Amino acid sequence: MAVEVAPAPGMRHTGDMPPILQVQSIDAAYGKVQILHGVSLDVYPGEVVSIIGPNGAGKSTVLKAIMGFLTPSAGEIIFDGGTITGLRTDLVVRRGIAYVPQGRIVFKDMSVVENLEMGAYAVSDKAQVRRTMEQVFQIFPRLGERPKQAAGTMSGGEQQMLAMGRALMVEPRVVLMDEPSLGLAPRFVELVFEKIGELKAGGMTLLLVEQNAVKSLSISDRGYVLELGRNRFTGPGDALLADERVRRLYLGG
Amino acid sequence: MGGSEARGWLPRRFYSVDAGLIGLASGVRRPLTGVWRLTPGVYRQASDMDVLQVVISGLLLGGVYALFAAGLNTIFGVMRVINLGHGELMMLGAYTTYYLYAEGGLNPLLTIPIAAAAMFGAGLVMQRFLVERVIGQPLLSSLLLTFGLSTLLQGLALNRFTADFRSVPYLSGSIDLFGLALSRSRLVAFGIALAVTGVTYYFLRSSRFGKAIRATSQQADVAQVCGIDVRRVRLATFALGAALAAIAGSLVAMIFSISPEMGRMFLGKAFAIIVLGGLGSFVGAFLGALMLGVAETLAAYFTTTQLAEGVPYAVLVLVLTLRPSGFFGVRE
Ligand SMILES: Nc1ncnc2c1ncn2[C@@H]1O[C@H](COP(=O)(O)OP(=O)(O)OP(=O)(O)O)[C@@H](O)[C@H]1O
Ligand SMILES: [Mg+2]
Repeated sequence: MAVEVAPAPGMRHTGDMPPILQVQSIDAAYGKVQILHGVSLDVYPGEVVSIIGPNGAGKSTVLKAIMGFLTPSAGEIIFDGGTITGLRTDLVVRRGIAYVPQGRIVFKDMSVVENLEMGAYAVSDKAQVRRTMEQVFQIFPRLGERPKQAAGTMSGGEQQMLAMGRALMVEPRVVLMDEPSLGLAPRFVELVFEKIGELKAGGMTLLLVEQNAVKSLSISDRGYVLELGRNRFTGPGDALLADERVRRLYLGG
Repeated sequence: MGGSEARGWLPRRFYSVDAGLIGLASGVRRPLTGVWRLTPGVYRQASDMDVLQVVISGLLLGGVYALFAAGLNTIFGVMRVINLGHGELMMLGAYTTYYLYAEGGLNPLLTIPIAAAAMFGAGLVMQRFLVERVIGQPLLSSLLLTFGLSTLLQGLALNRFTADFRSVPYLSGSIDLFGLALSRSRLVAFGIALAVTGVTYYFLRSSRFGKAIRATSQQADVAQVCGIDVRRVRLATFALGAALAAIAGSLVAMIFSISPEMGRMFLGKAFAIIVLGGLGSFVGAFLGALMLGVAETLAAYFTTTQLAEGVPYAVLVLVLTLRPSGFFGVRE
């Protein structure tokens, strides 16, 4: 079980609402190699939750299991009161979970608008798609300035904005982001965290995997530290940041 | 030199006085019996006009090639499967046209949508029950599977249709355009091929589902997190590719004579086209197809049709050694 570094995690901002997303002691494997060993986590509505841990700890694998890219061999994943364990990816998305994959992957041959339209593939109401796109353009003005540009010709930071914007197009109830700041120029790293802050302020629920543990914990309500596919520590973001063991192990002092 | 020899149903002469005979004469050709002379002993001197005519004839043929290659290319893009059975889908389309025409008395042009619909359905079944099982597996699995399918369909066709060459002598003869004698069947086939390829391109560029197909071929996992059911995309893509192959087959039946073995040869052409155009590029493949059509007909004109047969393979080797990304590797 995870060591709690501070009492009363969760619930801080959320009153009595039940978690919207629950990962309940899942095991998961790629082929025969088991990666996750009984990993659990909860995300409450309106929270920003970070998963941190060393390379290869299984952080991305947790997100992939939630998205249905791989099926847990044990445990349950509950979203909004119903199980989504092993549900096909596109159906998970239609339930209301969006995913921003690692490596700012966009449809390079398509324009900004087309990328966003693809993000809204599950939404059939065209007026709604237009409204959401306007909102995305408000959050990411850079995208609104160049609707016709081919995504492949954008800078890395702009592509990351586009990947985030695309995820918002389904009007998700929870957004999972895998290393959104990885490999970006410093000003774009700042921008990514600024935007995550804006989304949180707008009431969005986010589950974040980040290398940049200090930055992500400082904007997170709570965090989970994974190590070798197991829960290690958990607690409020600031408490994890302040914790000696966590600092020594994962925050470089 | 004169190109007065031809074997089988291969591209032959379409210039000057012979043009009108091609469609009609193809019925008398026998399969695999070697050389067949149309105008024995006639040697011709190439004039500029002749060459122009040959080039245009090649372009017309290239349009049909483009239609065939488009399906193969799109299928590869979406599922990373090289469908070695693509030629047999074309062959079945060709026979659908032949039988509906020869035994059903239908106008060959009217048989095209029927052949397309039939192969669309067959494509759905093949994808759903066979090809889908090897998605995401090593390339060898899908190669073996589709090779097996190809062999099976060819064997069944030999058994059901016999090895006899068949033809649909519709729209025979040529029309005179600015002093060029152009085969009527080729003109019509080109027009239809161009229209179908254009509609397919427009569908892929502009429609919602077309974009989902492109999204899946660019990044299947991200397409999934957009809420796209990629299995449905694969199903539709394979069926669409099969329908395009069938239409190309119907058109080929109006130009050449057909046999159960025709598929393999067209597959070789399609590989050359796709390599020329850059793997996965729709526009590139279209240009590549026109180029191959011209190269083949020029080779047939200046040398022999037997040598022209080797053009696709020469193109394959040349492009792969000189410029593996293709000549029109335009990303779309
Ligand atoms: N597709 C895959 N097939 C086989 N093994 C994989 C696959 N993806 C990841 N792994 C392995 O699973 C383990 C956990 O990987 P995962 O990507 O979840 O780690 P991570 O915590 O996200 O690491 P990083 O910080 O480097 O992104 C690693 O040992 C990795 O090598
Ligand atoms: Mg990772």
